[in-house]
Amino acid sequence: MRKSDAWRIILILSLCLISLYILYPTFKFYSMDIEERQALQADDPSSYIPLEKKALKLGLDLQGGMHIVLEVDKSNLTADEARDAPERALEIIRNRIDQWGVTEPLIQKQGEDRIVVELPGLEDPERARELIGSTALLEFRLLPDPEVTHRTVLVIDSVLAQIERGKGLKLTMEEEVAPSDTLIPAVKLFAEEDDLGFPLDEEETSRPFTMLLDPRQTSYAVLVEDVPLISRYLSLAEVKEIIPPGTEFTFSTRTYEIANRKFRDLFHIRKRTELSGKYLTDARPGFDQWQKPVVNFTLTKEGGRIFAALTGANIKKPLAIVLDSRVESAPTIQSKIRDRGQITMGGSATFDNARDLAVVLRAGALPAPVKVIQNSVVGATLGKDSINKGRTSVMVGALLVIFFMLIYYRLSGLVADLALFLNLFFLLASMAALNATLTMPGIAGIILIVGISVDANVLIFERIREELRTGKTVRASIEAGYKRALLTIVDSHVTIMITALFLFIFGTGPIKGFAVSLSLGTAISLFTAYVITKTIFDIRKGYKTLSI
Amino acid sequence: MLRIIGKTNIDFIGKRKVAFVFSGVLMVVGLFAFVLLLLGKGNLGIDFAGGVMVRGSFENPVSVSDLRGKISSGGFTDAYIIELKGSDAPPNSFLIRTKVQVAEGELLGDKLLSAMRVGLPDNEFTLDSIDDIGPAVGETLQKQARWAILLSLLGILIYIWIRFEFRFGVVATVATFHDVLTVLGIFLILNKEISLLVISALLTLAGYSLTDTVVLYDRIRENRKLFRKKGGDFASTINTSINDVLSRTLITSLTTLSVVMVLLILGGEVLHDFALALIMGVIIGTYSSVFVASPIIVEWERRSPKRLK
Repeated sequence: MRKSDAWRIILILSLCLISLYILYPTFKFYSMDIEERQALQADDPSSYIPLEKKALKLGLDLQGGMHIVLEVDKSNLTADEARDAPERALEIIRNRIDQWGVTEPLIQKQGEDRIVVELPGLEDPERARELIGSTALLEFRLLPDPEVTHRTVLVIDSVLAQIERGKGLKLTMEEEVAPSDTLIPAVKLFAEEDDLGFPLDEEETSRPFTMLLDPRQTSYAVLVEDVPLISRYLSLAEVKEIIPPGTEFTFSTRTYEIANRKFRDLFHIRKRTELSGKYLTDARPGFDQWQKPVVNFTLTKEGGRIFAALTGANIKKPLAIVLDSRVESAPTIQSKIRDRGQITMGGSATFDNARDLAVVLRAGALPAPVKVIQNSVVGATLGKDSINKGRTSVMVGALLVIFFMLIYYRLSGLVADLALFLNLFFLLASMAALNATLTMPGIAGIILIVGISVDANVLIFERIREELRTGKTVRASIEAGYKRALLTIVDSHVTIMITALFLFIFGTGPIKGFAVSLSLGTAISLFTAYVITKTIFDIRKGYKTLSI
Repeated sequence: MLRIIGKTNIDFIGKRKVAFVFSGVLMVVGLFAFVLLLLGKGNLGIDFAGGVMVRGSFENPVSVSDLRGKISSGGFTDAYIIELKGSDAPPNSFLIRTKVQVAEGELLGDKLLSAMRVGLPDNEFTLDSIDDIGPAVGETLQKQARWAILLSLLGILIYIWIRFEFRFGVVATVATFHDVLTVLGIFLILNKEISLLVISALLTLAGYSLTDTVVLYDRIRENRKLFRKKGGDFASTINTSINDVLSRTLITSLTTLSVVMVLLILGGEVLHDFALALIMGVIIGTYSSVFVASPIIVEWERRSPKRLK
């Protein structure tokens, strides 16, 4: 053994040890099942957190989770506001997610006005989308006098009836959403309770609007199926004209169920904002005296002054709590309120709803509405399924290649197999060390590496065989084989790395994972398939024969 | 010593006419597909075109045609629906994919799911995964893919031109384009969707298929020196070189082919087309290094000889 050989062996062995050290947390972490992990997380977070951090990360496609892309709608902002709107929106969204408590979320800006949010291991994507995507603009608004509202809906009736008769216009949207015969019972359901009820004996055609409405204390209950039709009626130019200026009709945030039918409330509210969420200093979920979920809020000093004036002047009148242009609820003001108030949750709200509302109110409103332009969710079971498929593919592929090399090149094949194993081992270790993420395409990259890795050895071995056939000694054949194959191997590796590089630069998510495993694996293959196998051949000095 | 093939002496160059016609036709189709792709047309995957892909399982059995009917009455007339069978998938699992028909800027996922709920009210659908991509995101991905394609091809070109003399460089480039375009052409003929993953496979292919050509050229360079001393002609130099590296070419193609075959069979729906592109690419790359790259060199040399050092 020459001195340089000794150094090479030391280098290789220490690389193995380092890799083993790097991969130990990964082995440990993934050998635990989910319950064990959760138990450790709860019992001993100080040993769990570094373990999880050091373990090779799995992409959302493998561990399950949510990836959404939001676009900040800057159309209603001034140039000045638009400049930092995406950054501010990002901060607020980060704040909301932090408060919600998702582990290891990724929130980053993409391009000019997009925000990418990745939430691994999520259980309720629907709720997350709501939490992240809502503008959370809170407003307190007053309602017009009930008489005004009552008159307005009756006038809308006559306007619609007129349009229908006069122009022969078809007002219903499509056949499917046209008011069905089920409407009458729905109206009758509440008819006796109300003092503002509509006369039922009139012919239905003369009241196309109110036949859809069921008057409640401060609103009208409408069947969820009728919401599109009502919206359409309200957006007609003729109808808009007769809605009293400074007021508007708007639906409730939530729906509720009565006798197996789903309802939404239609409110007639003023457009003027009396107080907005920007005066809020805190918001916490809680329950009111009837054990219904509420959000308790605290206002700033100035907000408290405004609120006190507002509530003091409007006792026994309803106050609409408007969230993102929809009415959360419209409770009646019982007494003068200063800086501490309570938001009654509308519809069939749960405590989770109250908690989410408190989160978004605390984090503040987004500077502009955001639109979800991509929504990808992978369930944990599917992710696990993908991991299994990937693992099986890598193992079967590697075994095929390993057996082939062993049979075809015998002991030399075994050397190549060792190189292949070390390649995969170093690849995983370097991915863990670089904090890279393993994705399903990344696993595909690893499978390709199995092929690419032995490619170099096949090239060398075929060359050595040729040299042996020309009658050279074993030693000389090995030297010549390695020397002649070197340039070709470098060439083939570099071209693959070039494409992998650009895939890494331009690729996103899973594709990036593919580029990472492919480029790292190719680079490592240059070392394992060339340097390591050569070192093994060099350890033995006096070859008489070569098993190849 | 176990050998797949012994010493061969096949006249590959003599079969070049057939190969040129075969490759020519495939390349024209591929070029057409490539232009379509760069223009953002053709059969693009939902990641490029915008659209939604849903995976999940129904509580009770439902046939594909029944499901298609329900979904299309919800407004999705050209949905791609397959039932996922296999040990891993729960019973009644389906994969449903539909592209954006009009760029309305809205996500389709909720609409598709509610169409399924309305159509099959008593058959609950459990969602495994959803990939809902708006047209705006698709456009961004298209732009990124275009850059990745152009720059990696350019990068490979520059590398080839640094490493090889002019003629070999040009031909290696042609061979690389040939492989990528041919697979793209076959995808067009098979009406397979071009997704981000397929593009990644094609680019990997560009790098990989070059290997065979590089191995061959290195051997040609080497043999040329020997042959010049012996006074052999150029075509037979190349033929000998192909025969010299044939066993290596076949073995590495077979090992790579076997791993991507495994990927195709065991890798699941996500990687199916990716693996398919690689399988075709490995086969075509092997073919092209022998039947396309080398004969072009021979033809070129015959028409304007003596440029080679």
